[in-house]
This record gives sequence, C-alpha cells and structure tokens, in this order.
Amino acid sequence: MISADSGNRVGPKSCRCSAKDFGNELKPKWCPGCGDFGVMNALYRALASVGRPPHEIAFVSGIGCSSRIPEYTTAYGFNSLHGRALPIAQGIKMAHPELLVLVAGGDADAFSIGGGHFPHAVRRNPDLTYLVMDNQVMGQSDGQVSPTSAKGAKSRGSTQGSLEAPINPVLYALAYGAHFVAQGIPADLDGLSKLIEEAIRFPGFAFINIQSPCITFGDPDMQVLVQKTRMKKLKTEGHDPADRAAAMELAQASGDVLYTGVFYKNPNPPPSYGSLIASRQRTPALEPSDALA
Amino acid sequence: MRGLVIGIAGASSDGITAAGESLINAFAQEGYFATLSTNPGTQIRGGDVFCRVRVSTDPVLNSGGLLDLAVVLDWENFSQLSGELSVGPETVVVYDRRSGLTASALPLGGVRPAAAVAVPVAEIAIHAGAPTQARESVVLGLLSAWLRLPQKRVLEALVSRHKAGGDPSPKTYQKAFADAVAYAKEHPLGRAIALDPAAPPEGKRRVADGNEMCARAALFSGCKFFSGYPITPASEIMQYLQREIWKYGGSCLQAEDEIAAAAAVIGASYAGTKAMTATSGPGFSLQTEVLGLASAVELPMVCVNVQRGGPSTGMPTTQEQADLFAATFSSHGDTVRPVLAPTSVADSFDVTVEAFNIAEQYQTPVVVLTDRELAQCKAVLEPIEPSQFRVVDRLEPTKAELKRYARFQITDAGISPISHPGMRGGNYLAAGLEHDEKGAPTASGEIHAQMTRKRLNKLNPLKLRKDLFLFEGDLDAHIGLVSWGNVSGIAREAVRMARAKGVKVKLLVPRLLYPVAETIYEDFFATLRRCVVVEQSHQGQLHRLLRMWTQTPREFMSVSKSGANRITPEEIVRLIQAMEQPATDRFRSHYCDLLNVI
Ligand SMILES: Cc1ncc(C[n+]2csc(CCOP(=O)(O)OP(=O)(O)O)c2C)c(N)n1
Ligand code: SF4
Ligand SMILES: [Mg+2]
Repeated sequence: MISADSGNRVGPKSCRCSAKDFGNELKPKWCPGCGDFGVMNALYRALASVGRPPHEIAFVSGIGCSSRIPEYTTAYGFNSLHGRALPIAQGIKMAHPELLVLVAGGDADAFSIGGGHFPHAVRRNPDLTYLVMDNQVMGQSDGQVSPTSAKGAKSRGSTQGSLEAPINPVLYALAYGAHFVAQGIPADLDGLSKLIEEAIRFPGFAFINIQSPCITFGDPDMQVLVQKTRMKKLKTEGHDPADRAAAMELAQASGDVLYTGVFYKNPNPPPSYGSLIASRQRTPALEPSDALA
Repeated sequence: MRGLVIGIAGASSDGITAAGESLINAFAQEGYFATLSTNPGTQIRGGDVFCRVRVSTDPVLNSGGLLDLAVVLDWENFSQLSGELSVGPETVVVYDRRSGLTASALPLGGVRPAAAVAVPVAEIAIHAGAPTQARESVVLGLLSAWLRLPQKRVLEALVSRHKAGGDPSPKTYQKAFADAVAYAKEHPLGRAIALDPAAPPEGKRRVADGNEMCARAALFSGCKFFSGYPITPASEIMQYLQREIWKYGGSCLQAEDEIAAAAAVIGASYAGTKAMTATSGPGFSLQTEVLGLASAVELPMVCVNVQRGGPSTGMPTTQEQADLFAATFSSHGDTVRPVLAPTSVADSFDVTVEAFNIAEQYQTPVVVLTDRELAQCKAVLEPIEPSQFRVVDRLEPTKAELKRYARFQITDAGISPISHPGMRGGNYLAAGLEHDEKGAPTASGEIHAQMTRKRLNKLNPLKLRKDLFLFEGDLDAHIGLVSWGNVSGIAREAVRMARAKGVKVKLLVPRLLYPVAETIYEDFFATLRRCVVVEQSHQGQLHRLLRMWTQTPREFMSVSKSGANRITPEEIVRLIQAMEQPATDRFRSHYCDLLNVI
C-alpha cells in the first residue's frame, strides 16, 4: 500500500508498462507539426518509467488544443472546463490520495482564465504534476494573444499586436514558492520525458513550463527546429537546482534565452498537502449515522 | 399552535443572541417547541442586536407575525428592526426605564400596544454589582419569572456561557438574574403572558439551525468531501464540516473562490466520492459553469444555495426566495438539473439526504435551495431515526461490465454504471465535449440528440415522486395555495387557521421544484377554481415556473413580497378569506395594497 502523500512519488514499478500502453488508437486532432505531439510522446515514456498502470492515473486538463492530451492516453481522463483543471485535480487528489494525478493545459488555461487558481495550488502544495503547454497563443480559439505572448506580438486574433507585457511562468511559479519548477521543450524529447518523470516523482506540487510550439499561429522563432538550436540546458550551464535565488535570476531571461531543465527543486521538500490532510483525518473513522448523535 | 412570540432588541454589547439561546434551550428541555431567529453576528447594525423567539406546545411552523411580548433595551435598534420585530395592538412592550421615555411617548410608529411597562433593567444589573452588559441576565430573570420557566435551567445556561467566556465572577450575573426574578414576581405583567404547560419530551430533542442540519445530512449521507468559499448566510455549513468531516475520514477545502470550490467537488465526485459545496446567490452564479459540466459528464454533486436578498450583494442577511430561476435555468445548453427546497429547519436534513440520493442515483448535480431564514433560524427538533432514511450509492459497473466498459452507455433508464480512477478496466474520458457512449468526443448531431435525450429522460421518474410534496387541507377545496421553502411554514399555519374558521382550502408544498412534476400539480389543481402561489420574491418565480409547465386553474395568481418583508400567517388568512369572494377584481384590488400581486 502506498502511503497517502506519495501518490505521485512511486517507489518500485507497480506495472510493467511500456510507452505504448499509455497511448490509444485515437488520432490526435492537432495540426501536423504541433509541439503537443512531442509532449504526448515524452509523457508516455515518463509514465512507462514511473510504472503506475493507466487505471491508477487521473489526468485532468482544461480546454484548448493542449488540453485534449488526456483524450490520447489510456489513463482516466477529465477534459474539463477552460481554466479549472487545477481545482478539479485537487478535489480528485484530496478524495483519492493514492492516485497519480496529472494536470495539463495551455498558457491561457493556466495564466489567463485559470490564473487565480495557480498560486493557491502552489501554496497548498498537493502532490500533483502540472504540465503547462505554453505556445504563447490561444491555439484552439483561433490564435488570439495569450498572457504569455510577447508585447507587440501580432496574431490572427490580434492583428495590431499585443499591448500587454507577458507573464513569466517560471518566475511566477518560483515567486509563489513552488518547490519544483522546470522548463522543457518537445524538441528535446529525451530531456522532457526525464523532466516529467522527475516531476512526477517529486513529493509535492511540481510545475513544468513546456515551450510547446503552435505551428499554425505561433512565433516562427519558437518552432521545434529553431528551439533545438536555441535551447540551453541548465545542467550544462552549471546551475544548481537547489539554489532558488539563482533560479530566479536565470528565470528573468525568459523570452531571450531558452533554458531547459530544472530551475528549482527543493532538496528538503515540506510535507505535501495530502500528508497534512491524512494527519487530520481520524482513524478509525466515525460512522455516517454518528452525524445524528 | 399560536404560542408566544417574544422579541428582544438591545445594543450590540447586550448579549441578546446569547439570551435567545438560553431561552430556546430552556424551552426545549421543558418539552416546548420553539424557534429562534437572530441576526447573524458581524455584518450589520453593530452585531447581535436582536432575537425573536416563538414558543409553543406544538411544533412551530414559522417564526410568527406580530410580537406578543417586545423587550426593548435600545430604542434605536428596535425602530430599525420593525420588519423583524413588529408591534401590534395585542403586544405587551417591556422596556428599560433608563431610556427615560414615558409609556405614551414610545416610538412605535403610531401603534398602541396592549401595555407598555418600564422596568429598571440597567439599575437591577448595576445594583447587583454586574456590568451594564449584564442586562441580558436581567431580561432572562424577568422572562423566566413571567413565563414560569424553570429558573434553574435558564440560569444554568447563563452561567455556563459566562464561564465559557472566561468571566471570573459568574456570581454577579447570578445575582442580577435572581434580583430580576424577585422584581418580576413583585410586578406581574398587567396582561397575562403565560404559556400552557408542555408535555415532557420523548427522546432527546435537538436545538439546531438549518445550516447545521444540512451539514449533518451530508455526513449522514456519506459525504466525504466538501469545498466552499465563505459567504453569508451559508458559511456555517462549511464551518461545521471544516470541524467535523475529518472525523468521518473525509476532507474539507476552503477554496480560493466558488468556482474552485465547485470544481474541486466535481473532481472528488469523479474520484468516486460523495461531495458537496454550499454558497449563496453571488457564489452560485460563479458555479453554474461547473454545474453544466456535471450535467454533461453525468457526475453526482450537491450544491446548496442558501438564498439571500439579491441581486448582487443585495441584502445578505435577509430572507428572499429569488434564486429559483437561477437554480433551474442558469446553465448553458439543453439541460435539466433537479432543484429541491426544504420546508423547515428539520426538513433541511431530509431534503439534503434526498439531494445526495438523487445526485447519486441519477448521476446529476442537484441544487438545494434553502434560505436565510431556515439556514440561520434555530429550532427545537424531534429526534431523527436513522433507519427512516435510505442512503443511495451510485451504480458501479460489474466485473463483466468492466470487460467491455462504456461509461455513457445508453440504457433504458438512461443511467449507466459509473467507474472511478483506481478501478481497473473502468478507464474513460470525462469530457465536457459531447461524447459517445465510450466517452470519445464527437461532433455528430445524431449522438448529441441521443445523449441529450438520455440526460434529460433519466430524470423523468422524479416527477412522479409524491413523497417530495407536502399536502395539507381539504382534498375537494375550490381554493388552494402553493408555497415553498420557509414561506410554506407560514402558509401551512394560515391554512390551519382558515380551516379552523370553517373555510375549505388546501395547500401544496413542493420540495421538488425542478423538474416540474406536471401531473402532481395538475391533480392538485383539478378541484380548484382559484389558486394563489405564495412566495417571497417580487416576480413570483414559482408562479411563473408553474405557468410555463402546467395547465393551471383559470384563476392562477401570485401573491408575493420581495425579500426582507415578513409575510405573516394572519395576512395569508386574510388572503384565503378574500379568495372565497366571488369577484376577481375585488380580490385583486384588495391584495394589491397588502402584497405584491402580479
Ligand atoms: C469559459 C470559456 N471561455 C472561452 C472558451 C473558448 N476557448 C477555448 S480554448 C481557448 C483558448 C485556449 O488557449 P490555451 O489555453 O493557451 O490552449 P491552446 O489551445 O493554445 O493549447 C478559449 C478562449 C471556453 N472554452 N470556455
Ligand atoms: S492550432 Fe496550434 S496549438 Fe492548436 S493544434 Fe494547431 S498547432 Fe497545435
Ligand atoms: Mg496556448
């Protein structure tokens, strides 16, 4: 039996699953060349090495192109409402702590309509893994600007260009106090799948900002082939992921330098929300009829 | 059933709410039935400044109309509270002599009470060495002597409260109380304010409010997850569960907003757990998108909306029944969600249990529409027998069904077995997108029509549930009333009063408001020439809903008042008498001034 707060931090493999076991026969409705394909493949690989069987995984998303990802896995999926994936996932995790709970969605889902939920998920620190597929546009709704679009960025839905400064998701997560913050790109499939695995194994809220390019509306400079030449691995740069201040310093370069890898991983993570909850719950529990006592 | 209606108004430091609680507890122990309405704490008019107690030897159906006894410690607050504490020609007014007013100069808006008695309330407190705040003890002493309540009981409650408050010397309060008793004995009230003796209670009666009963019902139903965001007058549900639910192996989340609360609830339900949220109008507005999702993915959840005066922030601490349209209609798309409404504090328990049962059985969100009066009004309640209730759990797939599982399988009843994460073979996608039987998103018009039919038709059996309706009166009456929620308690008393005067009349009280049970209403309407829907909203929302769905009697009218304007049993009795008159025009014009007739 896995203890209550370790749903995502699995020890030995509990199934002999290969990456194939997490994919289904559905053909993704993404445009050919969309970065989300790579994210999906990296996720399959990560889940295979983590080794929880698909029925023990709950995969929640919001609405958007990226949010269709649970549909293409064999896990339990919940393709829910625009912006509400995080609170739904927290409800699942609180009700059923043994599950491995994954959350995914786009940049608008995470930082526009769902922006109010992000800091609260961070400060509660539930054992969830949150994959934001940041393409700097609202893909599904026809390419309007999103909260991560650069100032001046033009798009089909915003032909005059954005007047607003972008959000910096990595800095934002660090500032709120997240204990695991990373950035990945589908161009580096191997690196991304390892990051996802590490995030899943982290005991607490783990956030990965994935620069997942939109080929239809996105910035040409962010496409997969260009990303490959632009990326700078934090590890190679000599960054110590236990150093939060250094992580915040590096995160400032977002938009100019494309760092990948772990920005920050708390070496002494505090107890997760799930373990705090478990310690409040009474065992043996009262019977429902005791409510009439 | 009339009993006595007592109102007390004071300054915020007078401990008026606490005095009311002492009274209702003493009444309960003595075998009386009673209700206690107070204004809820912090938000307005400087805090706990009034209470209203109605006591009777029979179960109390509502908190009553005009006061029999008004105790006034603060005239300014009393005047502001004329809606809650109204004085009539039969009221005895007792007031603190410290105000310096003479009986003829009391600010009672032109009403001449039966008697006005000045009592040295503050002086008795000060003389006993207690602070002036101990006026509450004096009032309790006076009342227990005048009403012949067992002084020990009232005093016990008083002393234990002061102890709990860390007061080092309960002695002075006790002395103030005793001196007040002595004073009352020397000065009997000119006009008798006396209670018939009550029979000793069978079993242990409980004093609780509707919010508490709703929270208890959730635990009783096996609810293991609650999430909410504070809002008057619903917060006590969360506060109760935040304290208790852990003991039952559950958990509680104070969410960052009501959207997150409802979202967490649907998540918990997806994970296989019974779950609930509670809010009031503004929060309910935020939750409707999630409720639409719950309808689409067929997940059970209970959402309690404790109605208050609206729109917007409106009148957060007052009573209104104006969220019926919101509860029934505020979702996008072609969908129906059941809406239930308790009719009394006690019924808040029954209806909440029923809400969980319906949610689980039909895999649907259910809205419980309570109201501020039921939610925060305390009442003496008969013991609840757990075996009276059935508790329904959702239909899970069998091993064989899991081999070829289709989460949204079309079945005769429209209900498909529901799996949850962790269940091997039950893996499925819950998608707000329209989906086929297996859960795969689709754009097919044919499947959309089929799934819409499934989701709507599965609720039809609810419309035959006579047990979700209360009936009172003469089966073959030509005049009848329909009423719901807290106001139905007023209508029930009025119907009893009118029948005691020989009028033939009947009353139907729906606890299921939506979907509209057409045949149950039409059976009720069959004998009626004239029917009036009595409710507390300017638009008369139930009246309009019934016109939309049922074949109504020829004369089908709405008599309603907007929130914060107390409807009294006496008014309804006059309404019933007017309904007996032949001419519609006269009937209408008569009631135009009294109530808001549409
Ligand atoms: C409440 C609500 N508002 C608006 C929409 C329309 N909508 C669908 S997807 C989307 C934007 C998605 O952008 P993002 O989250 O970045 O995902 P992407 O498609 O780029 O992967 C919008 C605005 C919606 N589905 N729900
Ligand atoms: S629109 Fe953009 S984000 Fe959406 S599927 Fe196409 S490439 Fe991907
Ligand atoms: Mg996007």
